[in-house]
Amino acid sequence: MIPFLTYPLALLALATLPALTAIYLLRNRFRRRPVSSVLLWKFPVQSKQGGSKVHRLQLPLLFFLELFILTLLVTAAAAPHWKLPQATRPLIVILDDSFSLHAIGADGLNAQQRAQNYLAGLFKLQAPPSTRLILAGREPRALGGSVKTWSEVAALLAGWHCQSPEAALDKAVTLAAELGHQQANLLVLTDHKPADEAVANPRLEWHAFGQALDNVAIVNAARTALGNQDRCLLEVANFSGQPRVTRLLVQTGTNTADRQSSTLNMGAHETRRLVFNLPAAAPELSAEIDPDALADDNTVQLLPPPRPQVRVKLDLPDAGLATLADRTLAATGLRAALTDNPQLVIGATAPPETAVSSNLWTLYWAGSEATNAFTGPFIVDTAHPLANGFSLNGVVWAAAALTNQPGEVPLVLVGNVPLVAARTDLLGGRHLRLNFNPARSTLQNTPAWPVLFWNLLQWRLAEMPGLKESNARLGATVTLKTTGGAVTVILPDGTVTAFPKTGGELALETPLPGRYTVAMDGATNRFAVNVLAAAKSDLSAAASGQWGKWSEELERRLADASLTGLLGLLALGLLVAHLYLVTAGKGAN
Amino acid sequence: MESALRQALRDGELLGVRYALQIPPVAASGLTGTRSGRRAGTSIDFQDYREYQPGDDLRFIDWGIYARSDRLAIKLYREEVIPHLDLIVDGSASMNLADTAKGAAVARLAGLLATAAANAHCTQAVWLSGEGFQRLPNDSLNPSAWDGLELTAKRPPDQALAILPPKFRRLGIRVFISDLLWPGDPQPVLRRLREGAAALFVIQLLAQADATPPEHGSLRVVDCETGEEAELYIDATIAKQYAGNLARLQQSWADGCRQCGARMTTLIAENLEAGLSELEALQLLAPA
Repeated sequence: MIPFLTYPLALLALATLPALTAIYLLRNRFRRRPVSSVLLWKFPVQSKQGGSKVHRLQLPLLFFLELFILTLLVTAAAAPHWKLPQATRPLIVILDDSFSLHAIGADGLNAQQRAQNYLAGLFKLQAPPSTRLILAGREPRALGGSVKTWSEVAALLAGWHCQSPEAALDKAVTLAAELGHQQANLLVLTDHKPADEAVANPRLEWHAFGQALDNVAIVNAARTALGNQDRCLLEVANFSGQPRVTRLLVQTGTNTADRQSSTLNMGAHETRRLVFNLPAAAPELSAEIDPDALADDNTVQLLPPPRPQVRVKLDLPDAGLATLADRTLAATGLRAALTDNPQLVIGATAPPETAVSSNLWTLYWAGSEATNAFTGPFIVDTAHPLANGFSLNGVVWAAAALTNQPGEVPLVLVGNVPLVAARTDLLGGRHLRLNFNPARSTLQNTPAWPVLFWNLLQWRLAEMPGLKESNARLGATVTLKTTGGAVTVILPDGTVTAFPKTGGELALETPLPGRYTVAMDGATNRFAVNVLAAAKSDLSAAASGQWGKWSEELERRLADASLTGLLGLLALGLLVAHLYLVTAGKGAN
Repeated sequence: MESALRQALRDGELLGVRYALQIPPVAASGLTGTRSGRRAGTSIDFQDYREYQPGDDLRFIDWGIYARSDRLAIKLYREEVIPHLDLIVDGSASMNLADTAKGAAVARLAGLLATAAANAHCTQAVWLSGEGFQRLPNDSLNPSAWDGLELTAKRPPDQALAILPPKFRRLGIRVFISDLLWPGDPQPVLRRLREGAAALFVIQLLAQADATPPEHGSLRVVDCETGEEAELYIDATIAKQYAGNLARLQQSWADGCRQCGARMTTLIAENLEAGLSELEALQLLAPA
């Protein structure tokens, strides 16, 4: 086996060997010197260093020792390594992290337990030199580092919870192949067969431990605000090939008196959709069906949807304008009763240039008598939230011939006249300028007028801190608008995650089903996460078996075996021996 | 004889013109000469009286004493002698160590002492060790006329002394020039050199390389006499031990000299002129 040198130029240091030899030869060459008598050169006790003793015996010892050390160091510097054949290969296990593995079969075990038992048996048979675990959830991720023993693997398996709504097995296999450099054996542990049963990868074994079971599941659930009521939707699916009867129990709050039970006679592969309304004041809704093979998808919790509103202050001296605006705002249903600390001020005076508060938005109604009536063409920034569904076809917009102020971004233009412009102050507050004279316009009589105010309030609401939704599917990302301060999230299992500083918006992951609590600025928000994944609730495709086999006929796996460390250690040991010989005087020259 | 040694003898002869050998009183013995001897002789210096003995020269009877006391008394006069210097040179190869000034220093020192002896009206004999002790040819002449000064012997002086000892003149002054670098007890050598001598001076002549430990490093030392080799790594400890060995050797010779009444000094070949003051302090030389 020919070694490869990583740094062959380091061999240039071999020039030190003849240098060392020359040093020794020059140093130890005996100069001939005639003396009157050797009488005076006979000593009863020899010096440790000098004298006539041991010269020929010990000089070569140190010399050859140093020669050997130099050779070792030079070789180590060249970093030689071999490609050695390996009897066994590293193992990378891809674990299906979807909740369908919780389905309990006739043997009383679920697929996850069966997979763990198989893995334990595999380690008993022949433990691989190293093992890595990869969780295949929505996205594949490594579970811990590389481990060697079964006890270490078992400790890592404690993090395999099987609570993901989907399993990205293909991505996980790709990741594993990259991590294994095409040299490791890949083992997939799941509950279904591969998409292509003819596994082409000779390094991949696909083991499924699932069982085709009958399962009825809640596959969809929603609760949305509808006026002063909440509209609820529940979708129950029977994934078995036989008709099934199950009982649906719906309860709002903790009051058992509010329980409503109904029996669902479901045909084979039938999906039943239930839609009903609840009062807006109704507390949390929970729905549950009869227990079956898979418990995860039998219950849902639906929290009341958030109904945010904006505190708007009207400060228009013109009574006509004030009435017009007041009526429009009331029609949106998003306006809150104003107490103090308004979140939006609509006035006829320009807002101050300096920032007052990030919470304060203003709409400056720049009405003027000297106006021109424009019929178009209007230029609208359709990407802006204010322009959502905003159409000005056939509209007459009377506006003063103004130019936009410094820092303002025009949102609606006609020619070079800005009709609506926006500015953001240093604290994040938005300030709009509406260049509009209703006396000579038809805008307030068109659908564009309420759309404009609806968009304005929606935009304001979107920028207000808090949750935008109160119910989410497992694995979805819940967006939390923050004020930039600290946020604490409590997961359903009690795990507390703190974010000391946030950047205005926080995307919260939902790895577990249940109720999440978000504490921010002294306020507490909650949202519920439900297991809603029809693909995983359908256990009819679950299967057991093995697909693919690790090939033993392939070329032998060659692993890099570097001798640098070994050579370095050997050189170090010899240096210590050299030091001992020198200090003890046994090899001194 | 090497030309360098002959040149060194000439240099020593020139250097020795300035000095004269100091004759110790006990050394007033020798051939009839010009210096007052220890015994009664034929000089004009009155020494003592003694009773007449038959056979005494009638010319030395003090007739005045006879007239006054009716006793025959002989007048004794101090004898006049010529002192003698026996110069004993270690002729082993270590005295001419390669790449040092040791050989030249030996010759210069020998020439200097011989010249100083001549200045002091002494006779001289130069004994060179080798396979026994031999006198140098022409050693009674000026040093530049000497011949056969070869410092190549493989035996140390103690062995040469055992093989063929020199025939020293009684009550002569003896000067032993050597590096003293051979194993063994110095006492027997010193006793034999001191025996019958008026005075014995031991001059240890070392090269700078002998006296100073060499620098650090690996060294293969070769004994220039025996060819024995030793491979060493020199460090501070070894250098210290070398210096200790040399000091112990010198101390043993100094102790031996003290015990037999000899005097000893050490000179460095590369710094010979500066060491001459040591010889004056040793009362071997005196300014002429």
